[in-house]
Order: sequence, then structure tokens, then C-alpha cells
Amino acid sequence: MSAASDIRGFDEREQSVAAPRLPEGGAPRNWRETDVIRVDQPELTMSERLYLPQIFGGMKTTLRHMFRKKLRDETVVQYPEQKRVLRKENYRGVHRLNRDEQGRVACVACFMCETACPAHCIHIEGADSPWPDREKYPIRFDIDELRCIYCGMCEEACPVDAIELTPEYHLVGASREEMIFDKEKLLMVFDRTKDDKPRKSPPITGYP
Amino acid sequence: MSAIKITIDGKQIECRDKIPVLQAALEAGWDVPHYCYHPGLSIVASCRLCLMEMKMPNPRTKEMDWSPRLVPSCQTPVKDGLEVRFDSDKVRENQSSCMEYFLLNHPLDCPVCDQAGECYLQDYSLKFGEASSRMVEHKNKNPKKDIGSKTLLYQDRCVMCSRCVRFCDEVAGTGELCIVNRGSRAEIDVFPGAPLENALQGNVVDICPVGSLLDKDFLMKQRVWFLKETPSICAGCSQGCAIRIDHNEGVVWRLKPRWNPGVNDWWICDEGRFGWKYVHDAKRLDRLIVRRGAKEEMPDWSALPEIARFRLEQIVTSDGADKVGAVLSPFMACEEAWLLAKFIREIAPQATLAMGPVPMEGSDETFPKGNGRDTRFTIRAEKCPNRRGVEMVLAAAGGSVVSFDDWVKKAGEGAFSAAWIASGSPKPWVTPELEKALGKIRMVFAQDLFANKVTEAATVVVPSCSWAERSGSFVNVDGKVQPFEASIAPIEGCQKDGNFLAALCGISGLYNPAKIRELMSATMPAFASPHEPPPMPAHAH
Repeated sequence: MSAASDIRGFDEREQSVAAPRLPEGGAPRNWRETDVIRVDQPELTMSERLYLPQIFGGMKTTLRHMFRKKLRDETVVQYPEQKRVLRKENYRGVHRLNRDEQGRVACVACFMCETACPAHCIHIEGADSPWPDREKYPIRFDIDELRCIYCGMCEEACPVDAIELTPEYHLVGASREEMIFDKEKLLMVFDRTKDDKPRKSPPITGYP
Repeated sequence: MSAIKITIDGKQIECRDKIPVLQAALEAGWDVPHYCYHPGLSIVASCRLCLMEMKMPNPRTKEMDWSPRLVPSCQTPVKDGLEVRFDSDKVRENQSSCMEYFLLNHPLDCPVCDQAGECYLQDYSLKFGEASSRMVEHKNKNPKKDIGSKTLLYQDRCVMCSRCVRFCDEVAGTGELCIVNRGSRAEIDVFPGAPLENALQGNVVDICPVGSLLDKDFLMKQRVWFLKETPSICAGCSQGCAIRIDHNEGVVWRLKPRWNPGVNDWWICDEGRFGWKYVHDAKRLDRLIVRRGAKEEMPDWSALPEIARFRLEQIVTSDGADKVGAVLSPFMACEEAWLLAKFIREIAPQATLAMGPVPMEGSDETFPKGNGRDTRFTIRAEKCPNRRGVEMVLAAAGGSVVSFDDWVKKAGEGAFSAAWIASGSPKPWVTPELEKALGKIRMVFAQDLFANKVTEAATVVVPSCSWAERSGSFVNVDGKVQPFEASIAPIEGCQKDGNFLAALCGISGLYNPAKIRELMSATMPAFASPHEPPPMPAHAH
């Protein structure tokens, strides 16, 4: 097989968009030779090859932080006596399930968070709601906080802003079972954090 | 039937005669939006979504030209030389106006609607509609209606395609549903005191293109995008309807019909649709049990071939090969029945085979109801999927084959020292005669779904799987060999019947029903070409 038939040139590419050329005995290639960017490794200078100047350069930064009080106080936090100041609006800590104005769970059990969750850590069971103004509500809502990767996709997927991540990050448990948060526990997180971080945006769907 | 040539969007296609242009376009791969048109129902052309442009003779010049008015493609029959187009601004404008109109009063509650994900309002408004609505007035709000024991009506979401009304009139023949009021106040309803209660009512949920009619059984259970679909054959009766099993993480959630012309067309009955609940029954047998006197042992499945072979061979050497009997079940797949017959005949060539009792309930129920109407759907009285298949297998097995009553009689006279009794029936099936005869059989191998007198008396209890966990083929009432696939893995402790039966026969490797069918076709040519329903056109619904 000649090189010309293997590598698709510019003019050829314009012609044959419909039928990709198959390299002999292989799967169709989905990249072109022109897509490849070749990067040459830069030659190291004498001082770079010694490595010592870089080591001393790094040590300089370390020592500067050690001896300058102002820099040290900005960087080091004496946890747990001292707590870090968080950006509460978008810190992604433990989940909570919001309550509506009447104190009911705001979730409508649409399974959007479960669908969006890349870690598959949300498990919902929906049912006919006991309230006349709502169609569906969750009878079970479990989040495996150990499996969760705190990406915040559930929060983004929620059409009623019922699930939110809170600034709470000290999450401890004595067993795995304890770390699977059910509906009640998630509502408790809301009660605990609602003053700190009120429910985000107004409802957009007409559901309370 | 001569082929008709028509031109759609400048492309000439060949199609069948006497079908609407819409059907021809769908079959040729066009995605033409439609709600009210269903090939199994009469045509009303009420949704106006499928309108097309058509060439007609200009009354002044007598030349063929695009007609200024759009025509419904569902109501226009194909004709040789017809030229139509969907790919025009006029058609697209109509589609988008129609979609806006359908969504005027729609509550946009997709997050809590069970239809979301398989809803043609969603699909069509994405493909053919506009992103925003110009509606500024308050939307009409309609409460949901409980119209029957199995169906809920959400009038808010309805597009008034009247498919459900026509289904009840034309296929079920019971006509419970009707359209009340007119214009923008029109709604689907039932007559007072006459709820939707026919044996086919689940189909109105299937044909509803939107989330207006929903199954109470499946309501709010799962979102449809989590479900995996496996093609299967209904095991409820001998009609052999093609179905689809929707399941997720090893749990069956619902059954839906598959198009199978000549067998069940587009429909299935409620008995089949909701009759799968025994699959997840907690009382199912779920372990292999070998009894030695009063002691019960639970050996590993890999030990079963050796145990069965050894014990049966012992009986054959001590009592003779004619002292072995076997009861095949009309609930078994043909392949499983064939494997079991093969295994028994290998060990005891003079063994007496029979087929277990065929459950009959009443008589065949035909639809539509009403005198003098052509039958469009039948629910069979024979409540087992595979009587004919097992009969074929028994006929091909040759040797001593008797009826079940005779078999029981012989067993009662002490003719068998060992017997393999298979069932897999979801309902109690053991007859009092068989119960009495069991005492005369020294060693019983019971292969069944649920505990009963046979499994109690058995030396070896082999738990069976439901049809949703098995694979093979059923032969329906018309003699069609219809393969089906396993949708979920067997429940904990069980094995696919085909697997252990193949192991009993010494067939190595995984149980492959297609391979077994190949072997079977040597004596039974019907199994060489099983019946597969044709695929639905991609954009038809």
C-alpha cells in the first residue's frame, strides 16, 4: 500500500467526505495526518541540566513563606480551631434536600439528578404525592455520600432546585451505612444549613 | 400486488398499493410527524401534523403544479406517479404552528410525567416545533381523571388525536371512551358509571403518543430512559404475542407489545401485560435441593448432571429402562423440552414421556366485541405458551409417548420407579390423581417455579426460571416458531433451565438456543426457520 493512498491529502479530503477510506485490514481511521502537531522537545541548557539552580529557586519560595508572617497567616489555617472562610454560594459539600414554604420536601421525584449523576450514587423511589397541588414526590431518596464525587451535577439538573450542595464539609461517619443519607437526613441538613445558605433560586416551574 | 412508484421530496420510491402516503413515507424512512394516524386504526386526519404538498393539475393551465393547499398525507392513498413533498417551507410552517397549538395548554410537567423520554410531544416539538410559545393567557387546567382500574387520564397533556377512542371502538369493540365537548374544551372521557374496563385497555396507553393515558401499574415507578428493552414472546397464552420486556438492574418493570402482523398486530391483552408479577415472587424456589431420607442437601449446580445421571442410571440398572418416566411441560421452551427428552432417552431409551396438564380457562375471547365483526385480536383459553412446541418435540422423540392422564394412571399403577416432572407453571397445577400417584414413584426429580406437592415429594428439586429469565422458542397456536431472549439474569440461586438441561445432555459451553434449534431442525424442519416479526419503520409509532 502506497503512502499516498494511506494518508489522505487535502484535495482528496474535500472529495471523499461520504466514504472514509479504510486502511488495509484495519478499522477506519478518524484522524488525519494534518491533524498531528509535532512538538520538539526543547534542548536543556547547562544550568537546567544541573537541576540545582531550580532546587534553590524552589527553596527560596518555601523559605520566604516560612519567615514572612503575613504570607504565613494567609496560607496556613489552624484546623480545627480555626475554620477556613468558604464561598458559601458555590462550595460543594454535603447535599441537602430543600423544603418548600410549607415545610414539605421540595423534590418532585423527577429522577433528573439520578440521571445526571456520574457516580450513580442517588437512588430515588417516586410515588403519588399526598398533596393536591403536586403530582409526585419521593418516598425514598438516598445519596451514598461515600460514592459521591461532589461534582454538583445533581444541583444543576434539578428543575425545582430541591437538591443543593451545602458548605458543610466535615463529613464523618462510623460505618458505610451511616454515610448513605436518606430523605430525612438530607432534610435535616437543610434545617441545619438554611440560615447559612438560603434556598437558591425562586421556583421556575410553578411547583412550590 | 403491483409496486407503485411515487415521488417524495424529489426521490422516487416504490411502495405497496392501497396504503396512505404517510405510511409509504414512513416505510421509506421519512420522519413525518403524526399523532392521529395509526396503521391499525381508522383514519381521521385530525391532528394536521402530517400535511404535505402535492402536485395536482392546475385548473386553468391543466399542468401539474404544487397545489396551494396542504393535504393530509395520512388520508391520501398512494397512486402511481404521485408527487408530494414534505421538505418545503409551507409544510414546515404548518408543522411548527401545529406544535405550538398542541402545546397551548400543555402544563410542561415533563419532569414528573411518566411519558417523558418516549413522548412524541417532546420529540416533535424538538424536531418540528418552536422553542417558545406566544401564549400569554392562562393555561386551561384539567384535573386528572381515573377512567378505569388500570388507566389514568391526564387531560392536560392530551393532543386529542382520538387514537384511544378509536381503539376502544374498533379493536376492543367496547367503546368506553368518547370525546365530550367541542373545540378547545374537547376532552376524552368515559360515560358515567361505565369506566374503561376491557381486557385490552393497556393498549390505549401504548398508542397514546403523549403522556395523557398512563398505566397505574407502572405509574411513577421508573423513568423510561433507565429501562433496557429485550424482545420476547408473551408466555400468558398460546397466541404467542410478540412483546418487549422493559427491565432495569435485573427487575422487570413492564411489558409492551411489539408489532407482529398476523399474530398480535400492535396489541397485547392486559392479562399478558400485567401477568408477569410472579417473576419477582418471593415464594419462588431458589435452590437446588437433594433429599437423602429426611436430610436436605443443597449441592452446587455443577454437581447436578452427575447426581441426576448417577441416580437415574441406578434405577435403570436395578429396575429396567422402562421404569423411567418424564413429564415435559407446556411452559417449557422447545429447546428445553428437546434437551430434557434427549437426556431421559439417552439414559433410558424405553422411558415413557408425556406432556403436563395444559391449563384451559373458559374459551377463546375474540375482539372486537359485538356480533358479526371481523376478529382482530384473540385471547386464547389455553393459558400456556408452548403446547404445540412440546407436542412436536414429543412426536420427534418417538418411543413411548402417552397423554398426561395415561401417564398418571401408569404411575399410579407403579409403572415408574423414577420420574422427571417439569412444570414451570405460575399457577397451581398438580392434579389430585398425580398427587396420589406420587407415592408410587421412588425417585422424583421436580423442576418447577413454586413449591407444590410434587416438589415436596421430590428427591431432587430443580428450581426453574420464569420465561423472562430463559431463552428459547415457543410455538404458538398457528404453529409459528417464535424465539425469545432472556431479559434478566436468573434470580439468586437459580440457573437458566437451558443451561442445566444442556449440561445434563453433556453439551459443553454456554446454552445457545439457536445452536440447539439447528440440532433440532434435523428431525423437525420447522425449527430451521423461526418466525421473526418484521421491524417497525423507524419513525412510525
